[in-house]
Amino acid sequence: MANQDFVGVPSQVDTQALRRGATEIRRLSRGTLFNYIILGAGAILMVVPFIWMVSTSFKPQAETVSFPPRLFPINPTISNYIDVFDRANMGRLYWNTTFVSVIKTIFNIYTSALLGYIFGKFVFRGRDIIFYILLSTWIIPFEVYLIPLYLMTVQVGWANTYTALIVPEIFTVYAMFMFRQFMYTIPTELVDAARIDGAGEWYIFHRIIIPLSKAALFTLIAFYFMWNWNDFLWPLVVIADQDKYVITVGLATFVGEYWSQYGVIMAGASLAIIPILALFIAVQRFIIEGVVLTGLKG
Amino acid sequence: MIQTIVQKLTGRGSTLRAAEHRFIIIALVPTILFYLIVKFYPIFFAFFISLHEWSLFGNVSPFVGLDNYALLAKDSLFYKVMWNTMYRTFAGTFLGALFALIVALILNPIKRGSILLRLIYFLPVMTSVIASATIWKWMLQTRFGLLNQLLLMLGIPPVPWLQSTTWAMPSVIVMGIWAGLGFTVIIYLAGLRGIPRDYYESAEIDGANSLQLALKITLPLLKPVVSFVLITGVIGGFSGGFQAIYMMTGGGPLDSTRVLALHIYDYAFERLFMGQAASMSFVLFAIVLVLTLVQFKLQRIDWEL
Repeated sequence: MANQDFVGVPSQVDTQALRRGATEIRRLSRGTLFNYIILGAGAILMVVPFIWMVSTSFKPQAETVSFPPRLFPINPTISNYIDVFDRANMGRLYWNTTFVSVIKTIFNIYTSALLGYIFGKFVFRGRDIIFYILLSTWIIPFEVYLIPLYLMTVQVGWANTYTALIVPEIFTVYAMFMFRQFMYTIPTELVDAARIDGAGEWYIFHRIIIPLSKAALFTLIAFYFMWNWNDFLWPLVVIADQDKYVITVGLATFVGEYWSQYGVIMAGASLAIIPILALFIAVQRFIIEGVVLTGLKG
Repeated sequence: MIQTIVQKLTGRGSTLRAAEHRFIIIALVPTILFYLIVKFYPIFFAFFISLHEWSLFGNVSPFVGLDNYALLAKDSLFYKVMWNTMYRTFAGTFLGALFALIVALILNPIKRGSILLRLIYFLPVMTSVIASATIWKWMLQTRFGLLNQLLLMLGIPPVPWLQSTTWAMPSVIVMGIWAGLGFTVIIYLAGLRGIPRDYYESAEIDGANSLQLALKITLPLLKPVVSFVLITGVIGGFSGGFQAIYMMTGGGPLDSTRVLALHIYDYAFERLFMGQAASMSFVLFAIVLVLTLVQFKLQRIDWEL
């Protein structure tokens, strides 16, 4: 779970900037064209690996190793994809990964929203101390946990089960922190008004707080689903049974076995990447807007 | 009844009703138990393991005191691993921060196409490192890889990128920069958005050109963001790199890309020297802890300016 550091909730629409943008006269200086050329060249470098992956994945083996390199295959084939489904048991990997990621994400987001609400909207003795003690675990590298958590997992008999993949990561500090920040934007009067109307605490949380947190919820769901989907080290250590592999571990094993059959390997990489990239492009508005500098505001 | 107990516990009974207390307690008790078992106990357990010659299959794990740490201090491979880790961390962080800064500075004023460009730069961030490292391994393949084929077309002889002790680490670093660039760009863009437009407008009225604007206004005001990116990058770097290196080189050739995270995994789960691996994880923990404290200090200073 690296890189969780700075993703935030969407900031409010900057109306001032919108007005400025509307009134601003678009000036085309000499520099602008130059800027586009630099950014365009950079963008090409960013996408070349993806394009080359897709290109290779449709080539028969002979074409993958022929010189000079060609972007478009002469005899395009989908046999590489069929091979991956057969040999890497791709359907199974998809199902396993989706199952684990969905359950983990639901737990992550629900517990974080609840704790963020409690730390953000209630006043009780010891609140800040408890919060900062929980938060401090954020800085500890996962490598410190790897060995003891593995031994604990074996001891309670969870080795090689999804329970071991899911349970140690039910609570997550980062989303809890983000939800706490978000709760400050929800007016306390709203909660109090609901209480006066006789609403119970759980009702308020489920029916008022959660719907009001939609913006934070969507961003964090997208990020956590992606992180859970791409998780590698812990599943690599805990799951031994090939039938229970998640997609990252399945792909790593597959690459180890079939390296040098480049078309098939790239078809495998495509199949591992495409679902998550499609999801990302569908919700990218939430995600990119959601990345804000929370670390600096503290 | 509950109310009086809770009032005693919290001392603020007057502001909270019993129902609210019950709500807080039901949520917090399992949380605290979870953190004690899964987040705090394992740290002590890891230290306990590091004091033993711990192996997974032998039932005997003799207590060896600080011997595992003493062994590290004498182990030339461990020094090599630490050197590799620092090389990857510092080169990757500083170059990545520099490239991202250039992209962000150019991207910031652009209006047309900026969403598409941000999307493109962000794609690798969303991709599983296992999958993207597989693509890079293929592109850097010595005989048939795209890079060497393109070089060959320019008349440059093939370079064994991932099989050479000189080139393997730079290759892994470049892949890491590619994978993380978009994230840093977005952080810089958020920082740039925080700089008031008025500063630029008044400087432009005074006749400043765009280079002067960048050097005299943008960079000084962006300094806290840059230092944040650098420090968090270095902190993350010490424990990072596992997935890319596991896939691309496996730590080779001749341990030239063996970094701390890979070394810990290898010792714990391939060679089954768990005690030794746990002691390395504590060295990592100590480094990260010190750097984090440094970060807290620096950030405070930056914000007081």
